[in-house]
Amino acid sequence: MPSFYHTWLPFIYLYGVGGVFFVLGLIFAIKSNALNLKKKKHKYWLRVLIFGYLYFMFIHAFFTIAALYW
Amino acid sequence: MEKFHNIGTSADWLVMLFYFMFVMLFGSYFGRYNRNTKDFFFGGRRFTWWLIAFSIVATGVGSHSFIKYSAMGFNNGFSSTMTYLNDWFFMPFFLFGWLPIVIYTKVQSIPEYFEKRFSPSARFLATILLIFYMVGYIGIGFLTMGSAMLPMLPESFVLFGSNFPVTLMGVVTVIAVITGIYITFGGQTAVIFTDLLQGVVLLFAGFLLFFLGVSYLGGFSIFWDMLPAEWKLPLAHFNKPSGFNFVGIFWQDGIAGSVGFLFMNMGLIMRFMATKSVDEGRKAAAFNVLFMLPLSAIVVGNAGWIGKALSIEFPDLVPPNTIPDQIFVVVANIVSHPGVFGFIMAALTAALMSTVDTLINATAAIYINDIHRPLIKAYSKRVNTVKETDKKELFAARIASVAITILGVISVLAFKNFPTIYEAHGYFHSTLTPPLVVAIFLGAFWKRFTPSGVIASFVSGVALMILGSNYPAALIGPFDHGIVMDSSHPYTYIRALYNILVCLSIAVIITYLDTILRNITGKWKKAGTDRKITNILIPVTVIFFLLTSLNITNMPVSLALALINSFLISLIVTSRVKYDAVRNTEGLTIWSIQKAKEIFKGSKINEAEGKTVKVKFKIKTDDNSDTVNFSFTEMEDMAAEVGDLVYISDARKYLGGLKSVHSVYGESHGEKGIVYITEDHLASGLFNKNRILVAEKEM
Repeated sequence: MPSFYHTWLPFIYLYGVGGVFFVLGLIFAIKSNALNLKKKKHKYWLRVLIFGYLYFMFIHAFFTIAALYW
Repeated sequence: MEKFHNIGTSADWLVMLFYFMFVMLFGSYFGRYNRNTKDFFFGGRRFTWWLIAFSIVATGVGSHSFIKYSAMGFNNGFSSTMTYLNDWFFMPFFLFGWLPIVIYTKVQSIPEYFEKRFSPSARFLATILLIFYMVGYIGIGFLTMGSAMLPMLPESFVLFGSNFPVTLMGVVTVIAVITGIYITFGGQTAVIFTDLLQGVVLLFAGFLLFFLGVSYLGGFSIFWDMLPAEWKLPLAHFNKPSGFNFVGIFWQDGIAGSVGFLFMNMGLIMRFMATKSVDEGRKAAAFNVLFMLPLSAIVVGNAGWIGKALSIEFPDLVPPNTIPDQIFVVVANIVSHPGVFGFIMAALTAALMSTVDTLINATAAIYINDIHRPLIKAYSKRVNTVKETDKKELFAARIASVAITILGVISVLAFKNFPTIYEAHGYFHSTLTPPLVVAIFLGAFWKRFTPSGVIASFVSGVALMILGSNYPAALIGPFDHGIVMDSSHPYTYIRALYNILVCLSIAVIITYLDTILRNITGKWKKAGTDRKITNILIPVTVIFFLLTSLNITNMPVSLALALINSFLISLIVTSRVKYDAVRNTEGLTIWSIQKAKEIFKGSKINEAEGKTVKVKFKIKTDDNSDTVNFSFTEMEDMAAEVGDLVYISDARKYLGGLKSVHSVYGESHGEKGIVYITEDHLASGLFNKNRILVAEKEM
């Protein structure tokens, strides 16, 4: 069985440190009004951005579990 | 290491030859749509998102290459995909910050942004760094193409009775000549369309190879069971081995590489600039990262995974010690029939050519915009017409493309001694991207960032990076996350973290010292000694830079010199550069995107959301201004007002905006379903008579 250093630590680091950059980006975009949540189109884009983050998180989690248990 | 030669048959070479001829003809057909330098470089800002999204595939896949990811797949398994799946973190910054800034400010190159945001001297330094980056990227592309072709060629050939060995540099030179010829006569529209074709072919060829490989092994479950669990994990080990570890690659590729790829790869940015609007650019970028990159990860890495399984099951066929950079070609040859192998190789090399020609085109754009035009402006007394200038610039762009191709070939020498292309590319990214990544990022997202901060970060940041290379254990070691230093290639990836941190620290500290710097230089100005003092300081800073970077003294002294130098540089910049914190940030940071939009349009923004309308066109003869006239009804449907911007295109969606034009709404009329356009619109939009047009309000 591969160690924690090869399985979940990279996953946590990727979405933890990467997540900090991602959330900072969202905060900057919303605070500066570049992503204006009063606009229908921009609300849609916010959903796309959050979906993208969760989508890649799911891909990595799924393949880690598949490698270990399938 | 097992080295292969003479792989493939004459049928494969024939297929490759025909494929290349077809792609070149396809490209030259669309090359005729170049109307001026704007089109040669940017494709005229008219394409729809899907066309750009698919055309980026060949550029992205080519640049991240079959060869290096197959090599990493062969050595490390599915974790070869991780660099394709870590680009999303910067999408909020890119989609709502950098992309609209670049499009609305109409900058034609990244250095131009530096001039508007900071000063001409910042532009000059950014140009040098960017050209280094682009030429290095071109070199990596040539090296990859050479490595791909070498196993297919004989060890030597006889010509006029003499024996000539086939070398990597020889192959690279021949490829460079072919690439150079193509790009010189094509231009951006040709590149977009050939990339579109190649993107589709590439995905098909990659999946075909995966299907053939899995079938060869006896099915997916056999293939899956053959691989050890470590090989199936999607992320590499946290900090082992030094040649391929998660944390180093995260900072090198996920951070420096992602920002570098999205924010400073002019080839990619020019593609987004070729979309018809900011929103279409967002769609193209999001679709590319969400869907095309994961697919591309499978396409480029699967030959390595199949190769690993083959080396376990049939070690005589694929020896486990096969040179990793040759594994793609070896596997493709084993699992496919003659002809099919040729097709796969053609798709691979053509995609690499796409990457390289996009980069050459982009570097030529930087040359024209940031070197040629400023020089002509400074030294030429003759006033040319727009047409004459355009003709001269097109000629200069073509000459520049040739020169850049030659520099790209020379740069291969710097990378060819790394164990794999992946490591060479990793080292290249960690070393060349951080100064520009930090400068672009702070410039676009931090209003307070000053010219002294950016220039000190460029010069002293680079000096500290060189110092890090000279003393890796002492300077990069504290950030190594437990990675063991390989003395032949120390900290190939994690050096990106050190490099980013030193550039960022200099930039932030100097910017926060702005008030002190102003006080000091203010006193000099009052005393009338500012010119004299800075004239003395300039050679001092040059000497300090050389002392630091040439490693003449010891580490503590060099470190101290670099830090003192950053302060001296910022004094010179604060004293000499005219910088207006309001004027130089308006529309140029994320905090004033709305203003950027207004500057782009030239008036207040009409935010009302309208529909698209279908119309027939008539030519107006009495008015030659850049306006188009719709009926009252259509104006109402589009929620448009006179003076708003409009985008009109041929209604055939599959053209992807190739036949289209941007204009301004003029006064409306009473003929429903008709738009009046000028002869110029007809010519530049390439519209066909009697065809239906679709119109939408741009802003």
